[in-house]
Amino acid sequence: MDLKQFEADNSGSFRLASRIPDVCRTEDCCLGVDEAGRGPVLGPMVYGICFCPVSKKEELKDLKVADSKTLNEAERENLFQKLDEAQSYVGWALQILSPNMISTSMLQRTKYNLNALSHDTAIGLIQYALDSGVQLKEVFVDTVGPAEKYEEKLSQRFPGIQVTVRPKADSLFPVVSAASICAKVARDRVVKGWNFAEDLGEIDADYGSGYPNDPKTKEWLLKYLDPVFGYPQFVRFSWSTAQTLMDSKAVPVHW
Amino acid sequence: MAAKKKRTPNTQNDSWVVIAADSVTETQKQDCDPDFVKLRNPSTEEASLYLLGAGDAQLYEVKAFEEDFHSWFVGQTVQRDGKLLFVTQMDPLYLILPYMIKSGQEGKFQPVDQVVKDDEFPASSRLLRCTRSLTSLHHIAEEKEVGGLKFHRYSQERTMNWLQKKVERTIVALKKKNICVGEGVKSTTYVRVKSESDDREEDYLRYAHGLISEYISEELSKALLKHLGLPELKSPKETEPPSKKRKLSDKPVEAGEDYTKFNSADFARKPPKKMTAAQKTLAKVDKSGMKPMSSFFSPKTKAEKK
Repeated sequence: MDLKQFEADNSGSFRLASRIPDVCRTEDCCLGVDEAGRGPVLGPMVYGICFCPVSKKEELKDLKVADSKTLNEAERENLFQKLDEAQSYVGWALQILSPNMISTSMLQRTKYNLNALSHDTAIGLIQYALDSGVQLKEVFVDTVGPAEKYEEKLSQRFPGIQVTVRPKADSLFPVVSAASICAKVARDRVVKGWNFAEDLGEIDADYGSGYPNDPKTKEWLLKYLDPVFGYPQFVRFSWSTAQTLMDSKAVPVHW
Repeated sequence: MAAKKKRTPNTQNDSWVVIAADSVTETQKQDCDPDFVKLRNPSTEEASLYLLGAGDAQLYEVKAFEEDFHSWFVGQTVQRDGKLLFVTQMDPLYLILPYMIKSGQEGKFQPVDQVVKDDEFPASSRLLRCTRSLTSLHHIAEEKEVGGLKFHRYSQERTMNWLQKKVERTIVALKKKNICVGEGVKSTTYVRVKSESDDREEDYLRYAHGLISEYISEELSKALLKHLGLPELKSPKETEPPSKKRKLSDKPVEAGEDYTKFNSADFARKPPKKMTAAQKTLAKVDKSGMKPMSSFFSPKTKAEKK
């Protein structure tokens, strides 16, 4: 996973993908969609897809991919390694949505909410697989919002493909588990190696999990609050955690 | 950001962002700088900001572009005030004119340095030091020379001819800059799709007169309008009948067509609540001519509240 290009400019949206296995262009394939980093106030949200021929589903199961949340970081890295090595039949693609992009989408003049952003990113990745010649027949998605509505939306958008949207899809379908591992690994690596665009000098990288309820994250947010500019681009400005702090501690700005 | 920690809180930023030609700040003599001064605005008679170039050679007016929700980043600081000041050359005669008119009422020839005097704005006398001032006084006054001394008396006729020339020159400038002047044009920066040819000559004349009127008194503006042969436009306010005064009562205010109240089970009208002493006194106040409360809730104030 080569993140150099994203790290050079981590202000937008970035796609990273494996080579497409030849077998995926000729055989009927299944595809899983999952995301990592939806909740945190810090860092990017990463969308992942993983695909393989329907006939190879069992082999994917044998890799023992499981819901990324039940695994520790080392296990996830290990599994990602295995997935990447199985490139004769497994392909993956990632879309990294930078915190800056999330902030500007949600806070722009015509609001673009996180669910819409999530759906569009998932659609974009599925379309990418189709455009790359992957013979998609089945798509499995971990839901964002009500599953039925989302499933209907995706089915309409991709006629001829069997779309299954389920909550907890990442523990039900191995191909979704694989996607969730790719997404989670990418998110961890990006957060760990975050390249601050701002000149903050010696930055304290001890920001905890990045989730709003983590005391370490809150402390870090307080420490790096600039009265004029607010936060570095690493922070999602659209999160109420960030907004509340800015409202109380920073200079008021009228738009 | 090493400077971040050093930032002093709440320092009032008194710098301005100004656009001016290089020539404004160029000084031939090292010892005198351009000087911002307050002078009497010839149109409003209130104080306005002007700039006198080095050695008072040239007069400039200072105009501000000011809109809501703007601020500046200047170097490493933020300036709350997003104003943009323009320093542009101005004919000092416009500022001298009101003094001339005032002294002209006595009908006597007078030395000009006695005429252009203002206790409220002492810098006024410096207007006469401007390069063009003394040589162009004949545009607005008759001159007489007695024993090497010059005396002046205001002339309405000369002034009108001078202002007419100003209007004509303004029209040339308007045409050159493709500025829309016709009726129904709400903004000068409005770009018209149709050709300019439908702007009539009178529209240009009226528009230019309007621009010049920002530099002269209302009285003079009306006289100039007559001089240019333009009929006075009736303002739309006068042609409309006066708006009916709203009757005020102590009854609770209700929407004219509020059908929802009929849907509720208890749509019996509630008796007006008891008022506190303060509310009672407020209620007695004569409210005729006051704006309704709703007129104060414009989007601007809403944003300010945030």
